[in-house]
Amino acid sequence: MITLYINGLPVSVEEGTTLLEAAQFMGFPIPTLCHKEGLSPYGACRLCLVEIGEGPKAKLVSSCTYPAEEGLQVRTASSRVIQARRIILELLLASCPQSKTIQDLASAYGIQRQRFKQEYENCILCGLCVRMCEEQMMAKAIGFRSRGEKRSIGTPFDIQSEDCRRCGACLYICPACELRCTYTEPERAICGACANLRPPCLEKEGVDDMMCYLSPCAACEIKKD
Amino acid sequence: MNPEHILKVIEDHREGDQTGIISILEEIQAKYSYLPEEALRIIAQKLRCSLVDLYGVATFYKAFSLKPRGKHLISVCLGTACHVRGGEMIASEFQRQLGIKFGGTTPDNEITLETVNCLGACALGPIVVVDGHYFSNVTLQRVKEIIHKTQAGIDRVDIRSDERIFPVEVSCPRCNHSLMDKNKYIDGYPSIRVTVSFNLKHGWLRLSCLYGSFSVDHEYEVPLDEVVNFFCPYCHAELRSSSICADCGAPMVPLLVRTGGMVQICSRRGCKGHMLDLTGVNV
Amino acid sequence: MEKVKSLDEFLSLHDRLTVDKNPSLPTLIIPAGTCGQASGANDLIRITKRELLNKKLTEKIKLRITGCHGFCEMEPSILIEPWGVYYPKVDPKKMVDIVESVAKGEVLQNLLFIDPTTGNPIEKQVDIPFFKKQVRTLLSRNEKVDPIRIYNYIENNGYLAMAKTLSSSHPRQVIEEVKASGLRGRGGAGFPTGLKWERLANQTNGNGKFIVCNADEGDPGAYMDRSLLEGNPHSIIEGMIIGAYGTGATRGIIYVRNEYPLAIKHLLIALRQANQLGLLGENILGTGFSFDIKMVRGAGAFVCGEETALIKSIEGRMGEPRQRPPFPVEKGIQGQPTLINNVETWANIPIIMGSGAQEFAKVGTTENTGTKIFSLVGRIKNTGLVEVPMGIPIEEIVNQIGGGPIHQMKIKAVQTGGPSGGCIPAEMFHLPVDYERLTKAGSIMGSGGMIVMDEHTCMVDLAKYFTKFLKEESCGKCFICRKGTQRMYEILDDISAGRGTLEHLDLIEELGPIIKYASLCGLGQTSPNPVLSTLRYFREEYVEHIEKKRCPAGVCKDLITYTINENCTGCGLCLKSCSAEAIRGEKKERHAIDPKRCIKCGACQSVCKFSAVETR
Repeated sequence: MITLYINGLPVSVEEGTTLLEAAQFMGFPIPTLCHKEGLSPYGACRLCLVEIGEGPKAKLVSSCTYPAEEGLQVRTASSRVIQARRIILELLLASCPQSKTIQDLASAYGIQRQRFKQEYENCILCGLCVRMCEEQMMAKAIGFRSRGEKRSIGTPFDIQSEDCRRCGACLYICPACELRCTYTEPERAICGACANLRPPCLEKEGVDDMMCYLSPCAACEIKKD
Repeated sequence: MNPEHILKVIEDHREGDQTGIISILEEIQAKYSYLPEEALRIIAQKLRCSLVDLYGVATFYKAFSLKPRGKHLISVCLGTACHVRGGEMIASEFQRQLGIKFGGTTPDNEITLETVNCLGACALGPIVVVDGHYFSNVTLQRVKEIIHKTQAGIDRVDIRSDERIFPVEVSCPRCNHSLMDKNKYIDGYPSIRVTVSFNLKHGWLRLSCLYGSFSVDHEYEVPLDEVVNFFCPYCHAELRSSSICADCGAPMVPLLVRTGGMVQICSRRGCKGHMLDLTGVNV
Repeated sequence: MEKVKSLDEFLSLHDRLTVDKNPSLPTLIIPAGTCGQASGANDLIRITKRELLNKKLTEKIKLRITGCHGFCEMEPSILIEPWGVYYPKVDPKKMVDIVESVAKGEVLQNLLFIDPTTGNPIEKQVDIPFFKKQVRTLLSRNEKVDPIRIYNYIENNGYLAMAKTLSSSHPRQVIEEVKASGLRGRGGAGFPTGLKWERLANQTNGNGKFIVCNADEGDPGAYMDRSLLEGNPHSIIEGMIIGAYGTGATRGIIYVRNEYPLAIKHLLIALRQANQLGLLGENILGTGFSFDIKMVRGAGAFVCGEETALIKSIEGRMGEPRQRPPFPVEKGIQGQPTLINNVETWANIPIIMGSGAQEFAKVGTTENTGTKIFSLVGRIKNTGLVEVPMGIPIEEIVNQIGGGPIHQMKIKAVQTGGPSGGCIPAEMFHLPVDYERLTKAGSIMGSGGMIVMDEHTCMVDLAKYFTKFLKEESCGKCFICRKGTQRMYEILDDISAGRGTLEHLDLIEELGPIIKYASLCGLGQTSPNPVLSTLRYFREEYVEHIEKKRCPAGVCKDLITYTINENCTGCGLCLKSCSAEAIRGEKKERHAIDPKRCIKCGACQSVCKFSAVETR
């Protein structure tokens, strides 16, 4: 067992526990975006940053990937951590404002404006879909390509992959958006919604009042026809 | 694209695990000027690695291209030293004159234009490299000239007027018999006659004695990239040194220079590897 | 080549090679590294060979072809030993005269280097101001060694330190010696090398430790490592053998970037020769110690210079850095303990083991021992590689060795550390080059690139250039670095195009530090340095771009106009050079540029012989 100190309080955890798990065990709230229980940790969104160490050597690390160390001092809401979280959320809003997950996180931290040029991207490269496809669905049909601002997620050569079983897990887990609904390009279809012709919202009454974050999606298109 | 060739490249680099992947891709990129989709699929299947990972590697590194490159490659250095000396202007001028953007190829597939982030020749900036040939201190006026030289072929030399090309008189390093053949002239000088053998065939080969010219005449047609064995036509000793060609790895052929020294040429057909040592080879 | 199987066999080979049969024979030395070849050294070499053969001088004059000597501005150059005579910027047409003069033992006065301050010719290289102030521990060996001849290296006491270490020192002694020398990693971070080695030596997990030479010199403007690899590859190999012996590593890898074809060629030849001679492989010199080195090529990614990304690249994966711990020394290539050091660090090892740690530590300061090679480039008279003792003030490098500014401009600042570093303004040139002081000033030592800037360099443009570079080279995994560099670039682009506001400056000052401490790896953590340091010392330039929409250095395209002044003689050269047909004028009359058509390519300015085209 390893004993570390989170916000001054001692906690004992088993070896291999991450700081995020330890903090959540203690009930300290840490926002996450690219982390999901059941998938390997990635450390890309930087929202789960915590401050470790003391004095001039103190630094920020992503708590979802950092393993617990004996005697480590962790602070989940130091001023640097809060500043970082706020700017990261501001940048997220500046890129992907239509995502409900991001909107909720931003309002939880009181972000009311963003000062950058507004973009409307539909992918924040959190990698959840990639890990979902590889680790849970055992297909590994999609992955990262290129680097820097050209980095993207997709199938090799951007054509339909033989490994893709159209399970729609990537769509399910995506926190950002209407990612990859390819109703208008059935040869690149990933989810099976169109094939089943039974999208969730079609089955319910009063579907127009339903809160939907997948617009446009196959269902609305089918309803129109 | 030849699937057999791809499989051979994989075998050559096989390390038993995935580590040779980048060098495999580099060899394929060098041979075909890009990474064909089929080649990547063969590699993924043969090495049992995920196509997704391989595609990721192919797109992550700047050295690889998924689209065919032109016959000639013009790289403009955009390192800091070159930038501070006006590199950006030179770069824009190339784009303007060729009518293409960086990373693109001219419609006739002749020239691909690229930028490089520092070639390490910073004192001579701005630098432009064409097919491995360096141009230094490039000014806006020289852009046109460089493009013309590219289209004409960088390696072209005028044998008669080029000061760097000169005749050598050689003999066999074993028996010291002169190898010069005054009966057959190449490039206006007596040729060098040796015997070569490949595929159970023996025949004569005549080389130009001009150091810097690669003209040859042969009894039998030797296929490109084939490595042949060289022999002295008088004492029949095999002419093979312990050095290997720095460009292609084939064995080098040593010829003793009359006035003191040893010239070595590559035994692979089509390879221009050569060395001229004046103080004699190893101790 | 016969394998050398014991220390005695090696020593007798060394003795045989050092017996010089003709010590008084002159040697023509031609540096032919990439710079040399790019400036025409190959022509000089060919013509020299032709002359020596035709005039039957091969027994009277020796020819040695080497790597870079460092005074790149003056290449192609020739050095003549043992007299030490130096001919700069040699014209191939004069080669015949030079060969003749060497045969006669004469010096050609009209081809010598002219001292710019006195106007007098200088005969010997050691007297030239550029060379005088340097301490050329590493670079001087480039002059003495033909990189593709291992026997030449041994003749110059190469591999002697290795042979003695392997035969008579205990691995622990090697580590103690390196620790005592105070050598710090020359790759940029300056971590004590001896300590790193100790950590690797203490690793007991895993089976098969790796040592790696990081030759992915990605900093634009830095090429010290290239010159060491091209000019003296055996010194790196020797350093790595000693390192492997001291730390217990069994496998070595040299990771060279793809953009250095000559370095790759020379390294491959050197590795093969070392293997053939038996200095690499099984049972080296009969000591029972086995070690082999493999070369791995990079594929064009700056981020692969970062240790964890380098490891991924060697493993054949995308070069994405990962969080540390675990450190490479604990878990590196394929999970095995891995030590990564820079080329220059390795090159210093044979020197430390050869002459001893005390001797090494005599140069430099107590915390920063030894020499450092800097690539002094940019707007300075004497561009090239300079090797100086640590702790020397920047002023000495820039003025006394570098010769000061070109064209009577004033030097504004130097940029150190490449895209991860920052600028040091001229007022602070009294600062010594040492790791701590440079970091405190807002920059870093980095791998040694030192880029000089004068009044014609716009600091906003420079920050924009570096940020663009980092944006493209970022691996893109962590959100803050990817988006942060992109947004910083956007803001700088706006400022340089006249769309900036003062709020932008506040935004940069808020965003920058957060990118610094929230990024996953070193690239992201240092990416705001260029913009933050230029903002710190040259805020007025930014403000002028914003408030007056003016670029004082005359660089930012959208804020300058090209005009023709009264120096114009009406010669018409600019008119002919203008591809946008924006210049009009009659012969012998002052021409004029139409700003609406002008595409600001600068062609007119570069052809004008009368300095009549100016930018405002």
